[in-house]
Amino acid sequence: MPQNEYIERHRKLHGKRLDHEERTRKKAAREGHKQSENAQNLRGLRAKLYAKQRHSQKIQMRKAIKQHEERNVKGAPAENEPSNPIPSYLLDRANPTSAKALSSQIKSKRAEKAARFSVPIPKVKGISEEELFKVVKTGKKINKKGWKRVVTKPTFVGPDFTRRPVKYERFIRPMGLRYKKANVTHPTLNVTVQLPILGVKKNPSNPLYTQLGVLSKGTIIEVNVSDLGMVTASGKIAWGRYAQITNNPENDGCLNAVLLV
Amino acid sequence: MTWKDIAPVPTAQEFIDIILSRTQRRLPTQIRAGFKISRIRAFYTRKVKFTQETCSEKFGAIVSSFPILTDQHPFHRDLMNILYDADHFKVALGQVSTAKHLIETISRDYVRLLKYSQSLYQCKQLKRAALGRMATLIKRLKDPLAYLDQVRQHLARLPDINPTTRTLLVAGFPNVGKSSFVSSVTRADTPVEPYAFTTKSLFVGHLDYKYLRYQVIDTPGILDHPLEEMNTIEMQSVTALAHLRAAICFFIDISEQCGYPLKAQINLFKSIKPLFANKMVFIVLNKMDVKKFEDLEPEMQTELNDLAKSDDVELLRASCATQEGVQDVKNHVCERLLAERVSQKLKAGTGSNGNIGSRLTEVMARIHVAQPMGGVTRETFVPEAIKDMKKYDKNDPERRKLARDEEFENGGAGVFSVDLKRDYLLANPEWKYDKIPEIYDGKNVYDYVDPDIDAKLAALEEEEERLEKEGFYKSDSDIGDESEEEVLQKAEYIREKHKLIRNEAKMRKSLKNRAMIPRKSLKKSFSQLEDHLDQLGVDTQEIDLRGRAAVRETRGRSVGARSRTGTVDPDAMEVDAPSARDRLRSQSRPRDRSVMATNRREDGVTDEVMRTKVERQAKLAQRKMNRMARQGEADRHIAAAMPKHLFSGKRTLGKTNSR
Repeated sequence: MPQNEYIERHRKLHGKRLDHEERTRKKAAREGHKQSENAQNLRGLRAKLYAKQRHSQKIQMRKAIKQHEERNVKGAPAENEPSNPIPSYLLDRANPTSAKALSSQIKSKRAEKAARFSVPIPKVKGISEEELFKVVKTGKKINKKGWKRVVTKPTFVGPDFTRRPVKYERFIRPMGLRYKKANVTHPTLNVTVQLPILGVKKNPSNPLYTQLGVLSKGTIIEVNVSDLGMVTASGKIAWGRYAQITNNPENDGCLNAVLLV
Repeated sequence: MTWKDIAPVPTAQEFIDIILSRTQRRLPTQIRAGFKISRIRAFYTRKVKFTQETCSEKFGAIVSSFPILTDQHPFHRDLMNILYDADHFKVALGQVSTAKHLIETISRDYVRLLKYSQSLYQCKQLKRAALGRMATLIKRLKDPLAYLDQVRQHLARLPDINPTTRTLLVAGFPNVGKSSFVSSVTRADTPVEPYAFTTKSLFVGHLDYKYLRYQVIDTPGILDHPLEEMNTIEMQSVTALAHLRAAICFFIDISEQCGYPLKAQINLFKSIKPLFANKMVFIVLNKMDVKKFEDLEPEMQTELNDLAKSDDVELLRASCATQEGVQDVKNHVCERLLAERVSQKLKAGTGSNGNIGSRLTEVMARIHVAQPMGGVTRETFVPEAIKDMKKYDKNDPERRKLARDEEFENGGAGVFSVDLKRDYLLANPEWKYDKIPEIYDGKNVYDYVDPDIDAKLAALEEEEERLEKEGFYKSDSDIGDESEEEVLQKAEYIREKHKLIRNEAKMRKSLKNRAMIPRKSLKKSFSQLEDHLDQLGVDTQEIDLRGRAAVRETRGRSVGARSRTGTVDPDAMEVDAPSARDRLRSQSRPRDRSVMATNRREDGVTDEVMRTKVERQAKLAQRKMNRMARQGEADRHIAAAMPKHLFSGKRTLGKTNSR
């Protein structure tokens, strides 16, 4: 009855197989051929998986080689002081003068001013009404009564929303496509948190969409940042901040947004 | 209690590969142009759901395959706690089961979203997102899965310790000869080395004493320090000491060869004494070959004796090196353990008021040996003749003659054949050598041997006589009448006829893919009709004449005096024989103008009511064909010139790969 570390024990008592070294050496020697055969002959999904695995292995190998190369570099790094000094009138070429610094500062300030009104995704593809709305035909007179629409994209619906009577409800926003939370990234802190949505500020495609609360890429939403403990310029705790949606929620099943700061 | 059959736990990466490739392999992979959106949605929904089901199944299997700590025996529970850290173990399993729930939630969410998707691209993206999130969750399980696999491997290698059976537990300081004791009493191959902590975990061996099996557990050595400072190896010993109801053999090396002073060993015994409560403890003084108990300093001797006396502990002596006293120790301990267990069982089965419980009575009834009442001793009965018989002695010339002797006298084995008939027990000893055939007329004689054959025969004869006297055999009528014979003949005839008809019908019915033609429209020749009527006894003369007349009328022109039998007048004028075609033409005649070609609309339809019915049925039969745009026989159809199934896959030259 084998008990506990019986394999190690057996090795200790009887030693390794007589041809152990030979076998390991041969196995190692065979490895390259084996890889080559796999790379050539695997098909389909297995080939994909194999290629991916091999790719990552190769990256690791390259990194290791690079590290070795860096380690093996001989001689001192390039000196700061050049061996042949440059005359003073040529020094300006390398280092910008103070005047130049000033002008670039102004330029950057202007850019910054513009940046205040710029958003991470400045331009998005428009969404046509045909794409967004699906016609619902109601009643017996099928051809005539096509006045009702279903919104096919994710929407935000406020907490106190109640549906209108069927007769007056022109737009239906399906329950399955309503979102309440968004994964918001703070661009400078590089953290992502899930925050509740307060409202839709602007949908760039169409003011009607803003009204309906359609969430598409590029939409500006207001999120509740009270959990982050952010402070406004005047020192008050900010709780509503704008964020821009950066993904296609209808394709991903979640909302990703960047906080506008 | 073994955990040898827990399935291997794959690593996170393997897990993802398994699950995703399973989804890929098991489900359809192709979407063709023109699939309806509902079908596409169903396609991707199925993918998401299937992946989730696979995950749940695999995770569920992992969680359920590992032992639940609370259900285990306290010994196993504590052992696992020491070896694997119960909290860690629970957390790992908990993480796996949480992941399972999360994956189920993800699947639910994405299936819901898929219902609203509008395009193939959107469906695909949603599926991709769902599988991606599942994979991420699994990736996060990297550490717990690796840990669980390690635990599984270790569990499978744990020795098979039964905590309830008869057990000897060997404990003591390191290097005092515990393992060598175990390996000398049992067949277990416990490693014995001359250094401390050779044994790093529990080992189990088995020994037989008095036809009962005992379990011997070898524990790692314990050092004399507080419980908190003990390491994992020592804690295993402590667990075994604490939870196993066993006879404990505490080994002490009085020669101090192990490197620990005797004082320390005695202290250890004292400090772990709380673990010995309600257990039998034996102190085994080992390595007696090196130093005798008597050679010890007197104060040590007294201390050891005090130890034994104060705690109801026995001192035993052994030497594993010379095997001296080892078997005695074993036998003594086993004996005491057995007695103790039996008395405990008796005590447990007996209630507080002294009556025996139902389970115990059952056992007691089984082991009870009945004795005669009143203390009478019953001797074995031996007949006088046997008592007085002279004892057989091979060398005595007056000895009894055995069959063996007889054989020897008559030429020994192989030559002498035993006379089996000599010892037959028959009514008359003279019959012994009578010859009786075993088989007679191809029958086994013995089957017909009947002891009361005479009585039976007598009874039969008597009955026969009686019957004859009563006139039972007298035939009452000798009327061999002809009417009966006639009836029989007719019956025979009818039977034959039936058979013929049946045969004919059978011939007709085996139509082998030919159309079934109704009897009415079967062609039957006139001769057949004639025969049939003849047989029925109807005069066919008249019918024959009538038929002939009818034929003559419709045949058209008579062909003239043509004789097939060559009776043409040889002197007749030679006439140009009309050609075959001309002859046919001359016989043909136009269709009767007055009769319409059969109106197929009315043909076979009796009246208006019937017609409407027929039309309705025809329409009904056609309806499905029309609606489904089925191919009918009227449709133009060109069969495949080279049917694929007849031409593909037939190899002539080349290999499988080349196709």
